[in-house]
Amino acid sequence: MKNLLIPALLASSLILLGGCASTQSSSSAQAKADETSAQMAVFQTSYDNAALALKTASSVGGEWRDTGKMMKQAKAAAEAGDFAKAEKLIEAAKFQAEMGYQQAMAQKNAGPHY
Amino acid sequence: MKKIALLVTALIAVGILPIVANAAPEDDLKAFRAYFKKRFPDTSFQEFTNGNYAVGIASADKRAQWEDAEEFPPYELPLEKGQKLFETPFANGKTYASCFKNGGIGIRQYYPYYDPNTKSIKTLEGEINECRVKNGEKPLKWKKGDIAAISAYMASTSRGKAIDIKVPDEPEALAAYERGKHHYYAKRGQLNMSCADCHMYNSGSYIRADLLSASLGHPTGFPVYRAKWGSLGTMHRRFGGCNKQVRAKPYKAQSDEYKALEYFLNYMSNGQKVNAPSYRQ
Repeated sequence: MKNLLIPALLASSLILLGGCASTQSSSSAQAKADETSAQMAVFQTSYDNAALALKTASSVGGEWRDTGKMMKQAKAAAEAGDFAKAEKLIEAAKFQAEMGYQQAMAQKNAGPHY
Repeated sequence: MKKIALLVTALIAVGILPIVANAAPEDDLKAFRAYFKKRFPDTSFQEFTNGNYAVGIASADKRAQWEDAEEFPPYELPLEKGQKLFETPFANGKTYASCFKNGGIGIRQYYPYYDPNTKSIKTLEGEINECRVKNGEKPLKWKKGDIAAISAYMASTSRGKAIDIKVPDEPEALAAYERGKHHYYAKRGQLNMSCADCHMYNSGSYIRADLLSASLGHPTGFPVYRAKWGSLGTMHRRFGGCNKQVRAKPYKAQSDEYKALEYFLNYMSNGQKVNAPSYRQ
């Protein structure tokens, strides 16, 4: 009987341990998913701000050549989970859009200087 | 007094006042020519039509190389193709000649022009496609290929005729002129450069290995055959390339913006003889 009891105890311990590990891994996966979702939400806000800045620049003919491309690259990086790269790119795109707008406004009355 | 202030504010808001305040096109033309005459005293008025191969701008070697290229020009075949396309009847039996004054021969010097009926600027390429659509054909793609070949052939029949662009005293015509003028002088793109920065204030200087041509006479050689392209291209193709080079987002070919720029530049070349198509590096 003793001979049977030891393996049974061992098996149940393993099951319990496995259960704990599985709970731990699923909760860590959940935490990771939550983190990704939060990072994506932060990125989306940055993206929306940059898109608005670009639309404003474009409305006055101030869009620069690469800004739209940078925004696409930022989106792709975010979708691939590289939020550091995505944020860097989207901030640069927003900066370009804002500069493009400022430039167009500053050049509103551009004319010759002979 | 309040009423006047309100009116002035309203005029500024709708953008009318800057047009009124700007110099008349004729004054711009005089000042533009005088600028280049002073900058390149050894270059004659007509010689500017040769771009950066003009005497007084290009080195003797560069000029000689270009003269050699023009002897057996690479645009000969596309030009022949353009003539063939121009003369080939559409499915309905009509040809391009049916759409243009004088059968489309010797009229390039009047393009682009302000059309009072549509209150818009009409370009030669624009009317080539209008003609196609009117005759049940699909429009051609802008910038290169068949449209550039047809336009080049039509322009070649105007060789030696002086550019003759009018800016009538009508608000829409003046607005288009001013729009083109603004595009030319406004800095744009990440490099913060205007058309004028290269082709006016720094014309005759080198930008890396390239000699910057003068704007005066630029349009006379279009469509041009560029070695870089390996084909003929329209003026709007070149505009897009220039805008991209200063890292600005280019406008679409045949957009109102580029039509206005073409209008302004051709007006500035009034009196200079058409020499299209031309060869450029």
